[in-house]
Amino acid sequence: MAESLTRLAAPAKRAHLPGMAGPDAMQVFDRRLVRRRRERAAATVEKVAPILEDCADRLLDRLDDTTRRFARALDLGGRGVVAPRLTARGIPFVVSADLAPSMAARAGGLPVAADEEFLPFAPGSFDLIVASVSLHWVNDLPGALLQIRRALAPDGLFLASLPGLGTLQPLREALAEAETGLRGGISPRVSPFPDLRDAAALLQRAGFALPVADAEEVPVAYRSALGLFADLRAAGETNAVLARDGRIPPRALLPMAAAALPQGPEGMAPGLRLLMLTAWAPHESQQKPARPGSATHRLADALGTVERKAGERPGG
Amino acid sequence: MSGETGVATGGLVDPRLLEILVCPVTKGPLRYDRERGELVSEKAGLAYPIRDGIPVMLPEEARKLD
Repeated sequence: MAESLTRLAAPAKRAHLPGMAGPDAMQVFDRRLVRRRRERAAATVEKVAPILEDCADRLLDRLDDTTRRFARALDLGGRGVVAPRLTARGIPFVVSADLAPSMAARAGGLPVAADEEFLPFAPGSFDLIVASVSLHWVNDLPGALLQIRRALAPDGLFLASLPGLGTLQPLREALAEAETGLRGGISPRVSPFPDLRDAAALLQRAGFALPVADAEEVPVAYRSALGLFADLRAAGETNAVLARDGRIPPRALLPMAAAALPQGPEGMAPGLRLLMLTAWAPHESQQKPARPGSATHRLADALGTVERKAGERPGG
Repeated sequence: MSGETGVATGGLVDPRLLEILVCPVTKGPLRYDRERGELVSEKAGLAYPIRDGIPVMLPEEARKLD
């Protein structure tokens, strides 16, 4: 994968390297490249449908936990497995947005080409937004979450899954080890993934109510590393990190990394740890903490004890 | 309204979708130009193309208005 993908990739623009000063200092991913990858993957994504379907089912299971009925849904980057499931659940209006028009066209809902960092929807357009394994190529995740929250009507639900820390970790380590041996240095070949705690904090920061984040290990195994590389390509998930090495990698890199990947009885497990995010657009009907000082009964009375001031010692 | 009977350039877009689309840059309203098959944001000075019935709401794909 890495060999052919680097060859196809345009050389990274040095001015956009993360860590450098300037307006692009926070850019981690090459969004144009992400879009090209998704454009191309529209023709091949069918091959990885079983994995994407498994991920979508795990996420949409969350809908069974609520008695709410939804009428207007947005499928963000669902790649053909989310919108049909929403329609099957009886949601009459489903829009499918994708960075790549060709991917939006086959996603199953009313297609729109849109950038998650520049959502083109009026405030309160949807009562459900689902992003299944799609927000991990976004540079400005806090900004995207804020726009998602605004596109939701009050009390609207947001469901998202994205690969978390630990995903593709064996591959990351094998590539780093092989590249160090061959070149005496490493370049980023696997995306950085967020931690569970980051994800929960981001939801809160974006103004969502009742945010919940948990992680699920999705069991995926390959007979060989080549199978994994082929699937990543078919899904449009190959390296789009701006700081990636634009040079053609040494011939031996992939075979060396593949040989270093740990093999279990089930084959090679690349590690797919999905962060599952659930959050609501705020609404007055939702439970929330009471204001300090708004209590009408004393805690001491409820406990049948004597209230003591801070600093006062019992018996003292 | 003569434009209503002619076939829209760029393909038909579901009216329910047109109702909720705004300019991704300004979040302001869009004007549907059927003749050209574009969604025009006067405030941003950009016209977003409609291709095969798909509104392409990407600023880098939009035509700059003079």
